[in-house]
Amino acid sequence: MLQENNISNFRLFIRENVMTTAIKRTSEITAKIVNPLLSSTKDVFETMLGCTPVRSGLSLKTRNNPEHELSAVIGITGNAVGTIVLSVKKQTALNIYETMLGTKAEEIDQDVMDAVGEITNMIAGVAKAKLQSLSLSISIPNLISGKGHEVHYPTEVTPICLSFESDMGSFCIEAGFSPKE
Amino acid sequence: MKILVVDDSRTMRVIIMRVLAQLGIKNVIEAGDGQAALEIFKNNHFDAVLSDWNMPIMNGLDFLKEVRQINKTIPFLMITTEAERGNVVSAIQAGVTDYVIKPFTQDALRKKLEQRIASLV
Repeated sequence: MLQENNISNFRLFIRENVMTTAIKRTSEITAKIVNPLLSSTKDVFETMLGCTPVRSGLSLKTRNNPEHELSAVIGITGNAVGTIVLSVKKQTALNIYETMLGTKAEEIDQDVMDAVGEITNMIAGVAKAKLQSLSLSISIPNLISGKGHEVHYPTEVTPICLSFESDMGSFCIEAGFSPKE
Repeated sequence: MKILVVDDSRTMRVIIMRVLAQLGIKNVIEAGDGQAALEIFKNNHFDAVLSDWNMPIMNGLDFLKEVRQINKTIPFLMITTEAERGNVVSAIQAGVTDYVIKPFTQDALRKKLEQRIASLV
């Protein structure tokens, strides 16, 4: 009986420590990408949209719903795997489109989504270039719209949410990464 | 002068074509991926190609390699976020003429195109 308890405790010890290490490595890799993401977001907004975004918050995400109703999602592979999401309000998306193309849009359509997707592609691409040691590749952006939509991350990943205010309107960059096994 | 503009983002194609129009270049054909662009390239004469890298179906680097099999000298500009040294080296080895790193201001793009393409007019 004593022996069975010892084995059980040992298994628990291993499981907790392995889990803690996995979560720690995942948190470390996500933290490593925060500064490149902050500077790439600033670069892209300043160069393509002529405004400097101001960070209004940094939090850990506890639910799968992005902050706003339109999300551009980019998958990342390489020595780290994960997801970068640009989450924007409808008006922010319309302002981005108008600034890039010089024409107004009243509703979120394919062209507005394309403009938001291209901004996200640039943010992810510039951040990737700043993280050369991770040898990352980025996917083509996928666009999701609608209140309450969800973006899922791997179970061991706790994504971060960087909130910004800008002349385009409110938006968030969400990201979660884990090291490649 | 006839230019082939290749990017999966319509937004980027519009921005690039607007800058080309400012340089007086209006004879432009667009494509949304490397495979579609290659088919167009095989059936038309172009004076220059402007291409994105990260595209579905066929990426810009593979498209560049295919173009160089057909035409060794046509100016081929890569307009991309792929700024890592290894990628730049791969593009140079494949025969890229010049590189424009996204993000860019329209002024910066215009200067680069003036330097590389408008001189061909």
